[in-house]
Amino acid sequence: MAALLALFAGFATSFVFHFPPTLTAQPTTVGNGVTIHLETVAAISDAIAFPRPEDPHPDWVSYLPTTVLKVPANSVVTISIDQEDGASGLRNPYWAKAQGIIGGTFHMSYFDDTGAPQVGDFSELPDPTSLGHSFAIPDLGVFVPLLGISDAAPAGSHNEITFSFKTGKAGIFRWQCFVPCGAGSIYGNGNAMSAFGYMQGTLVVQ
Amino acid sequence: MAVAPAVDDGPPIIQSSERRIVIPTNILTGIALAAVGYWAGAQLGISFALNDAGNTEVLLGYTFASIMFLVGIGFANYPLARLFGWRVTPQPAGDDHDGPWRYLNLSLDHKVIGVQYLVAMLMAMLFGGIGAMLIRTSLLVPDPPIVAPDKYLTLVSMHSVMMIFVASAAIVGPFGNFFVPYMIGTNRMAFPRLEALSFWLVPPAIVILLAAPIFGGFQTGWTGYTPLSEQADQGFDSYIVGFTLIGLALVVSGVNMLTTIIQLRAPGMTWTRLPIFVWGVFSASILGTFAAPILAAALVMQGLDRTVNTTFFISSAGGSPYLWENLFWFFGHPEVYIFILPAFGIVLELIVHFSRKPLWGYRTAVVGLLGVTLLSWFVWQHHLFMSGIAPALRPFFMFSTEMISIPTGIVFLVAFGTMWRARISMTVPMLFSLGFLFNFLIGGLSGVFLSDVPSDTTLHGSYFSMAHFHFTIVGGEIFAIVAAIYYWFPKMTGRMLNQTWGKIHFWWMFIAFNLAFMPLFAAGLLDMPRRVSTYAVSLQTLNDWVSVWAFILFASMVLFAINIIWSWFFTFKVAPANPWQARSIEWMLPTPLGRRNFEKIPVFTGGPYDYGNPSAKPAADLGGPPDRGMGSLGAEPAPS
Amino acid sequence: MSRLDRTHALRLLVAWAVLSVVGVLIAMQVHLPPGDQSTQATDETSLLQLMLIISTPVFVGVVLFILYSVFAFRQTRGAALEDGPPSYGNFRLQVAWVAITAIIVLLLAVIGINGLTSSAAETNFASSQAALGTGGSATTSGHRLQVQVIGQQWWFTYRYPDFGGAESLHLMLPVNTNIEFHVTSTDVVHSFWAYELGVKADANPGVDNITYVSTVRTGAFTVRCAELCGIWHGHMADTNNAVVSQADFTTWIAQVQKDNSDLNLPPYSPIYFPHPPIKGD
Repeated sequence: MAALLALFAGFATSFVFHFPPTLTAQPTTVGNGVTIHLETVAAISDAIAFPRPEDPHPDWVSYLPTTVLKVPANSVVTISIDQEDGASGLRNPYWAKAQGIIGGTFHMSYFDDTGAPQVGDFSELPDPTSLGHSFAIPDLGVFVPLLGISDAAPAGSHNEITFSFKTGKAGIFRWQCFVPCGAGSIYGNGNAMSAFGYMQGTLVVQ
Repeated sequence: MAVAPAVDDGPPIIQSSERRIVIPTNILTGIALAAVGYWAGAQLGISFALNDAGNTEVLLGYTFASIMFLVGIGFANYPLARLFGWRVTPQPAGDDHDGPWRYLNLSLDHKVIGVQYLVAMLMAMLFGGIGAMLIRTSLLVPDPPIVAPDKYLTLVSMHSVMMIFVASAAIVGPFGNFFVPYMIGTNRMAFPRLEALSFWLVPPAIVILLAAPIFGGFQTGWTGYTPLSEQADQGFDSYIVGFTLIGLALVVSGVNMLTTIIQLRAPGMTWTRLPIFVWGVFSASILGTFAAPILAAALVMQGLDRTVNTTFFISSAGGSPYLWENLFWFFGHPEVYIFILPAFGIVLELIVHFSRKPLWGYRTAVVGLLGVTLLSWFVWQHHLFMSGIAPALRPFFMFSTEMISIPTGIVFLVAFGTMWRARISMTVPMLFSLGFLFNFLIGGLSGVFLSDVPSDTTLHGSYFSMAHFHFTIVGGEIFAIVAAIYYWFPKMTGRMLNQTWGKIHFWWMFIAFNLAFMPLFAAGLLDMPRRVSTYAVSLQTLNDWVSVWAFILFASMVLFAINIIWSWFFTFKVAPANPWQARSIEWMLPTPLGRRNFEKIPVFTGGPYDYGNPSAKPAADLGGPPDRGMGSLGAEPAPS
Repeated sequence: MSRLDRTHALRLLVAWAVLSVVGVLIAMQVHLPPGDQSTQATDETSLLQLMLIISTPVFVGVVLFILYSVFAFRQTRGAALEDGPPSYGNFRLQVAWVAITAIIVLLLAVIGINGLTSSAAETNFASSQAALGTGGSATTSGHRLQVQVIGQQWWFTYRYPDFGGAESLHLMLPVNTNIEFHVTSTDVVHSFWAYELGVKADANPGVDNITYVSTVRTGAFTVRCAELCGIWHGHMADTNNAVVSQADFTTWIAQVQKDNSDLNLPPYSPIYFPHPPIKGD
C-alpha cells in the first residue's frame, strides 16, 4: 500500500511539475533589443535547426527548441521563425492579418507556388488557407501569420519570417498558434495544440 | 472442494461449486487476468481501429481488463458452475476465503463488503485530496504557472472525477451495505453477488482513472463537455470507462438495495418504522438505478465518436454538443441528489440518537426525501441556463429548481423539531451532524442564488458555483460521511475511534473548511471563472488565503486518517456494544458482531426512535418469531 | 404549546429578529456585481441584492437555532443519560413551515421570471412573454445593434454585420443602445461573459446564441470565457473593451473597417462550420 502510494506520488510529481526549458533572448548584434530564433516543424523528428530527439511525441507539430521565452521588459524583441510545415489554413481568416508588430509588417523570405525563392514585407497573408502556423501573444496584441512551406519548395527548406514587437512592463504572457494544426483531432485543436510546450508557451518579460 | 455443512457457525448464504475452476480465483488472479485482458483488448483495438487516434485500443483494453479482473476475482465461478451443471452445496463461513484475506477478495458477506467499500472510498478520497492540494498549490500565484496549464486541467479533472466517484458511493457503499440488513432485520441482502459486484466495479474504475496521466491526462473537468472532450487524446478514455463502471455500480447497487428494502424487511418493520437512514439510502437508490443508465448510454456514444467515427456530438457533421450537455445533466442532477439524500439520512439519524428524542415529523421527513427524489428529475436544465437553450424553457426550470428547496428545507425542519427541548449529547458524530447543517445551509442558500436566471448570468461558470457545490458536497456529504464513520466505527471494526482527537478533528476541519471555501463565493462574484489556472492579480491575496486554509483542511483529514489507522490496527481494547446508548437495532447486538447477523430473525416491536417513552418496548425482539416450522425469507440459505 | 416551549420560542424569536435586522443592514452594504453599466446589469444586481437580503434572516435563524439548542437543550453533564420528551411532530407547525418556505421560494421565482422577461424585452422571447401574461415592459422600437461574438480557442473576436462584417479583437459598444449579441463558436464550447455588462451566453459551435444588452453608462468592461475550453481557458480574458459614446464608436468602427479592407474575410454568417472538422481529412 505504501509502495503504491510512493509510486503514485513520484509519478504524479514528475508528471505534474514537468516544464519545458526556458530560452532566453540573445542581444542583437546590431542596434538595441534582443532576438529569438525559433523553428516550426511538421513533425519533431524532422527538425533541422533545433532537433529534440528525446521528445515523447516525435510526430507532433511543434515550435522548437522550446516555448518558454524570456525577454527583457521595455525593449524591442525581434523573432525570426524558420517555418518548415506545410499549409493548414485558418479557421478564422482574421488571423491572417499581422497586428501589434513594429511597422505593421513582417519580413518574409519564402518559396512561392512554383518553388522560386521570394522575399518581401507583408502586413497580411492574402490567402488565409496558406498559413502553416501563426505566432500570437493576445495579451500584447501581437498576431503574426506564418506562411506554410510550398510543396514545390526543395526538401529541407524553410520560410523565414522575421518581425519585431515592443515589450512593456514585466509580466508573464501566454502565446499560442491560432492555426488548427493538431493533426487528426476534432477541429484540429487537439494533440500539440492542447499541450503546453508544443504549439503554445509563455513569454516571460522581466 | 465440497464441504459438508458443519456445525452452523456462520451465515449459510453462500454456495461454492463442488468442482473448483482450475486456477484459484482471488485478487491476484484478478490483477493478472486484468493485465492479460488489457493486452488482448489493446491488440484487438490496434488491429480493428477505424482511425488512428489510438482510442479504440485503450477503450477495448480497459473494457477487457475490467471484465477479466472480475472473472479473475471469482465472479464467473457461480454462473459457470450452474452452466456446467455442477452440484452446488452450501458452505458455512460464507466465503471461499478466510481471515483478513477475506477483505481483499470476493466476499458475499455484506459486512465484509461494507468494510471493503469503506477502505476503498477512503483511499479514493486520499487520491482526490492530493489532486486538490496540487490544484491549490498551483493557484498560489496567477503567473508564472507552477504547473503547466494543460497539466493543471488534468489535475482539476482527476480531482473532480475521483471525488465524484467517492461521493456517489461513499455512504450507500460502506454504511448502506453494512447496516441496512441489520436495520431491517435480515441476514443478507437480496442479491449478495450483485452487492459484491457493485463494490468490485469500483477499484477498476479508480485504477483506470489514475492511469489517465499515463496517456496524457484529459482536460475536460468532470462534465466532459463535447467537443472539447472529442479533442482530447487517449487520456479521456479513462474517463469514459471509469465513469461507466461507476454508473454500472450505481445501477447494480440500487437494484440490490431497493429489492432488499422492499422485500426483506423482518416482521414488524413497517414502512413507517424504517429508520430514516434507510429511507435516505432507498431514495438515493431509486435515483441511482434510473439515472445512471443514461450516463452509461451517453458515455458509450462518446466512445463511439472516438472509435468508429460517429458524430453524435460534432455539430459540423450533424450532431450537437447540446445532446451531450442534456444527456449528461439529465443524469448529473439526480447524481448530486444521490450524493446528498443518504447524507440527509445519516444526519437525521444521528441527530435523533444524540438528542434522545423521537424523529420529529417522521412522515414529513420521508415526504421530504421522496419529494427531492421526484423533483430532481425536473431540474436538470438549470445547469444549461446560459447555454443557449430555448428561452421559454428557462422559467420552468427556474421554478422547478426553486421548488426543490422546499423538500430540502423540510430536512432542516425535522432536524430542528427533533432538537427542540431535547437532551443533546455533543459527541463527535453530533458535532459533525451540526456542522453538516451549517454547511449545507450555506450551500443550499447559494443554490437559490444560482437558480434564478438573471442572477445566474454572473454566477454561472464562476467560483460562486464552485463554492456552492463544495459547500453542499464537502460541507454536506463529506461531513456526513465522517460523522457516520465516527458513529458506526465501533460496530464495524470493534474499536472506538479516539474521541478527543475526534473533537479536535471536528473543529479543525470545520473552521478550515469554512475559511477556505467561504471566500470563493467572493472570488466568483469578483469575476473569477471556474477551472482556470490563472486569475486577475487583484485576487491573489484571496487565492493565497484559500490555498493556505485548504492545506490546513487537508492536514485535518490526515489527523483523521491517523486516528482511523491507529484505532483500528494498533489498539486492542474492544469497543463497548452500545457506546452511544442508542435504541436502534444495530446497537442491541454485541461487539464484535457475529458472522451471522441474527440467530433468529427479529420481530420489530417499536420504532428505533421511541425515546422519552418509558413504556416503549425495545426496537426489536431478538428472540425471533414463534417457530411455526415455516422459516422466513432471509433466515434460511437461498435455495440452491 | 407548553410554557417551556413558549419561553424558548420567545427568546429565539426576539434574538432572531434583532440579529436579522443587523444582518440585513450589513447585507445592504455589500456591493454586488455586476453593477449598473447596462439595464440587465442593474436588474441582476437588484436581484442578487434581494436574494442576499432574504437569505440573511434564514441564515441567522438556522445558526441561532443550532447554537441555542446546543446550549439550552444540552444533556446535563456528569449525570446519567436522559431522554427528551417524546414529541413526534406538530402538524400545524409542519404545514406552516412548508407553506412559508414555499411562499418565499415562489416569490423569488416570480421576481426572477419578471427580471428575465423585462431584460429581454422586445426579443424573440416575446411569445413566451405573452404566454406568461406579464405584459412586458415598454418596447423601445428601433434597430438593435448587431454584434457577433466568435469564440475560438483561445480568443474572442467580434464582427459587426451592420458595418460590413468588420472584425475586431476587442469589443467596443456605443452607449444608450440596445445591442443584440449573436454568440457562436468555431470549435469547442466557450462562454462569452461580459462581467460589468451582466451578459453571459455560451458559444456553441454551429449555434447562434442570441442575447441582449442595453448599455446605459460608458466605461471599460472585461470579457472572459466562462466555459472550460482547453488549456488557455483561464487566460481567455480581455480587459480592453469599453462602452463608449456614439461619436467615439463611429470613429472606432470606421477604423476597424479600414483595417479590415485588405483582409479576405468570409461573408458574415450566424454560424461558421469549420471545414474540415478533422484536420488531415
